[in-house]
Amino acid sequence: MSNLIGLILPFITVLIFVIGMGYRFYIWTKTPQPGKMTLFPTPTPGGGTFISIIKESFFFPGLFKGDRSLWIAAWVFHASLALIILGHLRVFSGFFDRILINMGVDVDLMSSTGGGAAGILILITAIWLLLRRFALRRVREISNASDFLALLLVLAIIFTGNSMRFGEHFDLEITRNYFAHLFTFSFAEMTLPQSGIFWTHFFLVQLLIMYIPFSKILHFGGIFFTQSLIQKS
Amino acid sequence: MSDENTISHEKVREEVINAIKAIDNGPQVLKLYMEMCARCGTCAEQCPVYYGEPTKERNPVLRSDLIRSTFKKHTTIAGKLLGALDGAGDFDGDMEKWVTQFYECTGCRRCATFCPFGIDNSVITRKGRAIADKLGLTPDTMKSVVKTSLETHNTDGASPEAFKSAIDFLEEEMKDEHGIDIKIPVDVEGAEFFYVPPSGDVLVNPEATTGIAKVFYVLGMQDNWTMSSKCFDGANYGLFTGNDTDMKADNKPYVDEAISLGSKYMFMGECGHAYRIMKMMMEKGKWWGDLPFKVVNCMEWTADQIEAGRLEFDKSKNPMPVTYHDPCNFGRSCGIVEDPRVILKATCQDFREMYPNRGENWCCGGGGGLSAMDDIHDFRMNVSGRKKMEQVKDTGAKYVATACSNCKRQFMQLIEYHKADFAVGGVHDMLSRAIMINGKAAERIDYES
Repeated sequence: MSNLIGLILPFITVLIFVIGMGYRFYIWTKTPQPGKMTLFPTPTPGGGTFISIIKESFFFPGLFKGDRSLWIAAWVFHASLALIILGHLRVFSGFFDRILINMGVDVDLMSSTGGGAAGILILITAIWLLLRRFALRRVREISNASDFLALLLVLAIIFTGNSMRFGEHFDLEITRNYFAHLFTFSFAEMTLPQSGIFWTHFFLVQLLIMYIPFSKILHFGGIFFTQSLIQKS
Repeated sequence: MSDENTISHEKVREEVINAIKAIDNGPQVLKLYMEMCARCGTCAEQCPVYYGEPTKERNPVLRSDLIRSTFKKHTTIAGKLLGALDGAGDFDGDMEKWVTQFYECTGCRRCATFCPFGIDNSVITRKGRAIADKLGLTPDTMKSVVKTSLETHNTDGASPEAFKSAIDFLEEEMKDEHGIDIKIPVDVEGAEFFYVPPSGDVLVNPEATTGIAKVFYVLGMQDNWTMSSKCFDGANYGLFTGNDTDMKADNKPYVDEAISLGSKYMFMGECGHAYRIMKMMMEKGKWWGDLPFKVVNCMEWTADQIEAGRLEFDKSKNPMPVTYHDPCNFGRSCGIVEDPRVILKATCQDFREMYPNRGENWCCGGGGGLSAMDDIHDFRMNVSGRKKMEQVKDTGAKYVATACSNCKRQFMQLIEYHKADFAVGGVHDMLSRAIMINGKAAERIDYES
C-alpha cells in the first residue's frame, strides 16, 4: 500500500494537477470575452488594477465588507494554509533549515510555535466553516454534498497532520530522505517511512490535490481571472 | 419572436440545454462563473431581494444554479462523474419558474462588489433572460416596452408631435418661473450637445430637463444644445431582456441621429442604464466603430460648471432634508457618484448621505427593468424594495434625489404603497428650483413633490 501511495501515486497526482490546472488556465485564457465588465469604484489606471487584484487575492477586502465573520474564518484559514504549505518545505529538504539557521533562526522553535499555531488555527477555522454550512440558512440551502466532502477531506488532512505534530513522534530525517529520493527518482536507495498516519495524511493530501482542477477549490487560480474581469477600467 | 404555444416541451428543453452547453465556448466571464463559485453565501447576505424575503427561490446562488446545475451536468468532469453530489442536475423544463426567478433579480451587481471572487450574478441573470427571450418567453410587460421602443424610438410610444407639445409646455413653465424665454432647442443641426434623457424626464418628471435648459441658458449656450423629436429616450430594454440584437437595434437610431445632427457630444440625461449602454458598452466596445462624437453625462457637465463657479444658487428654495440614491447603473456600473453630490450640495440646504452609498448602495428594488413590471408590483413593494425603504427612513430625508427613471418609478410606488412621508425626483430637479437667473431663483412654489 505504501508503495502505491509513496512511489506511484505522487507522480500521478502531480501530472493530474499540473495538466488539469494548466488546461483550465489555457481554456480560460482562450475563451473569448467580448466587452468589459467594469465595476466601480475602479482601481487607479496604470498599476492600480494589478495591485487591486493582488490585494483582493491576499486580503479579501470585498469579503471583509460583505461578511465580516466569514472573512475572519476564511482569511485565518487561508493564511494558516499558506504558512503550513511553507512549513512543509522543511519536510521535503534540509535546504531551508540551513538557510534559516544561517540567518540565526531557531528552526525547531519556529516550527513548533508558528507551525503549531497554524495547525490549531486551521483546524478551528475549518470546523467553523463546516459548522457555518449547517448553521446559516443562506449557506445551508446552497451547500452541496461536494461542499461538505471537500471540507471533510480538508479536516481529515488537518487532523492527521496535527496528530503527527502533537501526537506520535514524527521522524523528520526519514521523511526528508524519502522525499529527496522521490524527487530524484532514486527509488533503489529509498527507505519508506513506517508511519501509518503519515501515509494516511499523504494519501488524503494527494487526493485533494488531484481533485482541485475539477472542483471549486480551483478558485485559488481562478480568482485572478474573475477579479481582473470586473476590475478593468 | 415565436409563439410559445407552438413550441413543444421537448423542443424547449433542447434549446435551453444547448444554450447552456454553449457557455463552454464563452463568454469567458460566464464560463468562469459556472466553475468558480465557492458557495459561501456572501452574495445572499448582500442581495436586496434575499434581504427582503430570505427564501430558497431568492437566494442568488440557487437562482444562478438554474443555469449552473445544467452546465455542470453536461460539461464539467466533476458534474458528469459526481452528478447531484456536485450540484449537477438536468434542466427540469419548468420555464415558468425560470422566467419568474430571473425576473426577480434586479441585476444591481451588488453581489459582485462583495463576492470574494467578484462573481457578478447579473451576468447569469441576463443569460437566463436571453434564453427565455429566444423562446419568446419574456414577460409581456417587458416585451411590449421593447417593441414600442423599437417602433417609436421611445419606451412611451410618444409621437414627435406629442414630444414637441411637451417641450412647449416646459418652455411655458420656465417662462412662468423666471419671466423670461428659456429655450429647449429641438432638432437643431450643428448643435454641439445632443441631449438624450429618459423620456420620463420630458413626459413624467420634466424638472430635470428644465434644470438642464436653465444651466445652458445661464452659461449663454442656449444655441449650443438640442434635443431630437425622433430620439428623446435613451432607455433601452434590450439590456434587460438579454437580447443583444434588440439592444443594438434600439441604440443605432441614437447614434445615427447624433451623427446627422453633427453634434460633438452625446449629452446623456439622468438615466443610469442608458448612460451605461452608451458609455460603457457602445462607445467602449466600438459597436459602430469610431464615432465623431463623445458620450458625456449631464451631471458630470453641470458639476464641472458648479466647480468652476459659473452657476449661482438660492439654497433656501430647497430647505428640506435631501438624500441621494445612487442608481446601480450610475454608481457601480459607471462610477458617476461624486457629480450628483456636487450638484445637490450646491443646491440644497440639508444634504444627507444614506448608508451605505456610492458603489455599495442598495438597489431600489426596481433594477434590471423590474420597475416597469406592474405584474410583480407586490414583490417590488414588499421584497426587493424593503431594504431601500429602511435605508431612506434612517436618513430622515423628505426628498430622495436619484438620477434614474426606473428608480424614480419604483420609489413613487414604494411611497404610495407604504404611505411614506417623502418625495422622489431627479438631481437637476433640485437645481431647477434653486438656480439663479438674473439674480433670482424660480418664483413657483407649488411643486407637486
